[in-house]
Amino acid sequence: MTNDVPKADDVIHQPLRLRIMAALHAGNGKGQEFDFARLKSLTQASDGNLGSHIETLERAHYVEVERGYRGRRPRMVIRPTALGLRAYQDHVAFLRSIIEGEGDRKA
Amino acid sequence: MPIDARAAEASLADIDVIVARLKQSSVYRSASTIIIVWGALVACGYLACALAPRQALPIWIAVNALGLIATFAIGLRLRRSGADFEWRIVAAIVLFFAFGLTCSRMGHFGARELDAFWPILFMFGYALAGLWFGRAFIVLGAGIAALAFAGYLWVDRWFELYLAVVDGGGLMLAGLWMRRA
Repeated sequence: MTNDVPKADDVIHQPLRLRIMAALHAGNGKGQEFDFARLKSLTQASDGNLGSHIETLERAHYVEVERGYRGRRPRMVIRPTALGLRAYQDHVAFLRSIIEGEGDRKA
Repeated sequence: MPIDARAAEASLADIDVIVARLKQSSVYRSASTIIIVWGALVACGYLACALAPRQALPIWIAVNALGLIATFAIGLRLRRSGADFEWRIVAAIVLFFAFGLTCSRMGHFGARELDAFWPILFMFGYALAGLWFGRAFIVLGAGIAALAFAGYLWVDRWFELYLAVVDGGGLMLAGLWMRRA
């Protein structure tokens, strides 16, 4: 993962997954907890859409999902993995490199 | 998957929006516990004053001392958990108290005026904070200040009970709403 030239990440580039990872990255290490409802409020996604994209990130090992209950209500807590945070940073570096004039790239 | 400069800019702008939303949500969440605690304390203060009007001074000294200690403790806990908490919030509360004490001393208020003055003063403080921290504070501050002033004008008896509901209850409801943000 230590390439000199940043590359696009197909998993993260999808707009909703990018928003999810942006929130998880920004809140990482700041005592922030992200449950499904909070991510839904931040990303303004629908339940179904958000759930399916969290699963995609989970399959890529970019997030860990803790499924449990608060009282009788099901609760899902989403945490970024080190791999996910790194992939997000690399993807953002890739986006910046495009804007800084390195031209279009192929992922 | 080709990504050109325009798409990259749009993605980075999207990230900025999410980060800004998260920042506001974090401010609301940090403030919510403090607001709920103050709401409960203030409601208890008004109820106690309604039951024992002659003890108003020690009641409010106790309520405010407990509120400040609780704010300090919550701030300490938030900082330890890594959350953003500005100690300037505690300083701002102390400054508002100082300003309020000065005004209430110089203004020669009666008991009813004092009952109305303090919530209105602090609600203006919330509204002022809202100019930086989010519209919810403006709505909360302006709403409760207006209701407190309306109560001063039109609620004759039960004014303290009215303030317990409007000021204390309003703060607790607003805090619970902010917690969900």
